[in-house]
Amino acid sequence: MVKRTGTDGSLLASLPWTLAALAFSLAPHVQFLPVWITVAFLACAGWRWDIERHRRALPRPWLRVVLALVCFLGVLASYESVSGVGPGSALLAIMAALKLLETRKRRDQFVLLFISIFLVMASLLREQYLWSLPYLILAVVLTMTAWLRMSLADDGGETSVKQSFKTAGRLMLYATPLMLAMWILFPRIATPFWAIPVDTSSATSGLSDRMSPGDISSLSLSDAVAFRVKFDGDAPDPIDRYWRGLVLYRFNGRTWSGWEPIMARSAREELLVAGEPVRYQVTMEPTRQQWVFALDIPFEWSRSEIFMGPQHQLAKEQPIDQRMAYQATSYTRYQITPKMTSYSRTRYTRLPAKSNPRTVELAQSMRRASEDDESFAKAVLQRFHEEEYFYTLRPPALGSNPVDRFMFDTRRGFCEHYASAFAVMMRAVGIPSRIVLGYQGGEMNPMGRYLIVRQADAHAWTEIWLPNRGWHRVDPTAAVAPERIEFGITGAMLSGIAASWGLAAPIAFVHRMGLTWDALNAKWNDWILGYGPDKQDSFLEWLGMDEPDWRKMMLTLTFLIAALVGLISLVLMMRYRPPPKDHAALLYKKFTRKAGLVPNCGETPQDYASRLGQDGEELAAGADRVTAQYLSARYGPPNPAAMDLLRAAVAGFKN
Amino acid sequence: MSSIPWQFPSFPGLPSLRRAVGERVLRWARKRQGTDRHQTRLHSKRIYILPTGVGLVFALMSFAMLLGSMNYNNNLSFVLTFLLAGLGLVSMHQCQRNLVGLELRFAGVDPVFAGQSAKFRIAITNRSKNSRYHIQLYAGTVLSEVQDLGPGDSRVFQLPLPTEKRGHITLERFGIRTLFPFELFRSWAWLHMDLQGLVYPRPAAEAPEPPPTQSAHGHRQHDARGEEDFAGLRRFQDGDSPRHVAWKAYARSGELFSKQFAGADTSSQWFDFDHVDTEDLEQRLSVMTRWIINADRTHRDYGVRIPGSEFPPAHGESHRHACLEALAVFNGGHVNG
Repeated sequence: MVKRTGTDGSLLASLPWTLAALAFSLAPHVQFLPVWITVAFLACAGWRWDIERHRRALPRPWLRVVLALVCFLGVLASYESVSGVGPGSALLAIMAALKLLETRKRRDQFVLLFISIFLVMASLLREQYLWSLPYLILAVVLTMTAWLRMSLADDGGETSVKQSFKTAGRLMLYATPLMLAMWILFPRIATPFWAIPVDTSSATSGLSDRMSPGDISSLSLSDAVAFRVKFDGDAPDPIDRYWRGLVLYRFNGRTWSGWEPIMARSAREELLVAGEPVRYQVTMEPTRQQWVFALDIPFEWSRSEIFMGPQHQLAKEQPIDQRMAYQATSYTRYQITPKMTSYSRTRYTRLPAKSNPRTVELAQSMRRASEDDESFAKAVLQRFHEEEYFYTLRPPALGSNPVDRFMFDTRRGFCEHYASAFAVMMRAVGIPSRIVLGYQGGEMNPMGRYLIVRQADAHAWTEIWLPNRGWHRVDPTAAVAPERIEFGITGAMLSGIAASWGLAAPIAFVHRMGLTWDALNAKWNDWILGYGPDKQDSFLEWLGMDEPDWRKMMLTLTFLIAALVGLISLVLMMRYRPPPKDHAALLYKKFTRKAGLVPNCGETPQDYASRLGQDGEELAAGADRVTAQYLSARYGPPNPAAMDLLRAAVAGFKN
Repeated sequence: MSSIPWQFPSFPGLPSLRRAVGERVLRWARKRQGTDRHQTRLHSKRIYILPTGVGLVFALMSFAMLLGSMNYNNNLSFVLTFLLAGLGLVSMHQCQRNLVGLELRFAGVDPVFAGQSAKFRIAITNRSKNSRYHIQLYAGTVLSEVQDLGPGDSRVFQLPLPTEKRGHITLERFGIRTLFPFELFRSWAWLHMDLQGLVYPRPAAEAPEPPPTQSAHGHRQHDARGEEDFAGLRRFQDGDSPRHVAWKAYARSGELFSKQFAGADTSSQWFDFDHVDTEDLEQRLSVMTRWIINADRTHRDYGVRIPGSEFPPAHGESHRHACLEALAVFNGGHVNG
């Protein structure tokens, strides 16, 4: 039986700070962790604090082992794995809670503070917002304050809480230039060492690789940013802002699908471009998908892992799990002119037999009334424009033969419905057609002079193949609600709401604030989070390093750190230097050197003079004179002449 | 002479290797620094620094975090990692500067009886305008308390050295160290002040009555009586115990008087080395020590006679000290040479 001794209360000064540091580090995880973990942590923290306050004994070892086992199994049950940020942070929280229960001595808290730092790190791996930087700095200051509280002098010493806090802050201040130097110069690498476990628990937002009318309606309301675009010159007109994402060609009567991330080397050669190129940089939010958005039609792009697929859409080799920036050049005037082989013609004109028969019949009769394919397409658009078709974000549900239901019964829908119906009508008469999913429009942010494309801007349109023009974009939604194409959905909805409620001014103000915040975030993403190998090279080149490579960076970094550390050392030296010696004391020291007799420890000047005076009358007189002047210069009333008299007396003293 | 087991602070490796290397380092430091004066100011050149175990773990953690940040290309983790690395570097310099410029002064050691610990007192003064934290003295495995020194503060640190044998105890070397700020580094300095303390012989637990000796008045010693019987005042003489100063009388008259007690026999008594009833030298000295302690407690005059020296009967602190010191350093009556 192990003897259980109570705690001695030695942790009272430091434990609250350790707990505070842990709680602060855990806070950003709480919304992602199972509730029981937070509860377990809080319970253990409260329990431990109670134990310390009442000098109770720590829980028995077997109880701690059982608790550890239960909690570990709990994490396994909650996550079904122990790797990745989610289970990792859960395990850290559990470790902290259990370690608290066996922390007896002050120094045992080291482990807790290490855990606290790892928790902060884990929260940064999870998300990196603008406020994450002040958060992490505060967390480190708090942890370091707790660290200082842990190693107090035996009697508590000089150190108040405020002083510990100030010391931690001061050392952080010294460390900041070192951190900046390392951050800027430490060579970034492009490829990871080991595979990054993807956290599938958090929901993805964005487009899907299949379309059955109804899917996009939820997106239309989401304000989340899909990507941001910075143009080198002027932005293209709103009507040309079609952001091509993925192309669907397979239709089963209800759902469009068929997107595949395949590289097609010939696809780019099928492009004929004209007019001014548009150069821009896109910063895409992670989608966990492979498609890459570009202005119609992309002609050049920066990253080697991005390629063009057979339907002239861009994709990346691996899913986009992190924010990604790329440059691209597009042309808004272009032709896509592949050869239409019989194989592709079959692929782009296939309709399932016996599906949507009324639509097929309508298309065939309209084609008979038209001169050629192009005028037929125009006639279909005309029908959307002139007959009673409505644009709505909340269309009624469609049963079997959804295109027929839409065309003849409900006549309400949004881009997907129109694009799907139009493509089906084209296929019904043998015109190759396909659906393009992407975004249309976007909002120019005047603060940062870049375009914000939101999930609400998601759009679907069609491309048809005409013998003399190749693939040609047709946006049937434009025929129904032209203003939506002109301004994008955000602007259209906003002005409508504001006008109807008479709230135009305040809403515009709030909107402007939102744009400013987004501009800050864009800068943040661009410069801080996006500081990768390319940015680092260009930034260092801008600073004056020619052809930066990792050797030069490390060399510069070493020198810079040495210089900064030297500077910090100097600051510390000034901080701890003794007060300057009194001028009179210096003169007196000169006198004792002249006299050739070392003053004893604690000997007063008078005693010293009389000891010196034992060696002769003349010496005694001289010593007395210097001593008298010294005492009046150092301790007497302020007198500017006294110092000169002392100097003269010392100068006149002869041994 | 006693010596204290000395360990090199937190040096990794095999114990024997560690000791061998440690001793070499100590010899080297001694040769490099020479003997220090009893008042010494710590110069930065003599302050050494090594990471502690916690510091090594901290470095390992920072490295792991660096690998993680590189792998995830996560620029905020880089900020965290580099901030911690920077803190490590800063704390190294802070740790060393925490000692530089401190003034150490030997503030004495009181004589003790063998078996007690000799408390070497070192006064440390911080002349700078900023506090010094977490300062500790150590000598081998003996540690002083950990104290902070505020701006301009001077504090006394005690090193309680265990004693075994009578004679002089030498503190050849002691160290001053600090773990401030984060215990990641330990910086220390060795001081070689060659401090000496005196260890009286261990008093015998039980001693026979001192053999009767002829007092100056020619009659046998009376039994000691209690101190309670106040007999009067007499003018303070050197050697009178401060406990017997009549402070009230001093407050009235401004002169120092000692209280006299009836029990304090003014007749004298001799403690003679040759009259102790045992052969063993140390045992004899122990018995004599006990007699002196007892006699001093009862304020009787006593004289001590050992081969080679003689202390005529008297009483008081300085007499007691002189007698005990003679016993402490007594070499068995052999004439030097």
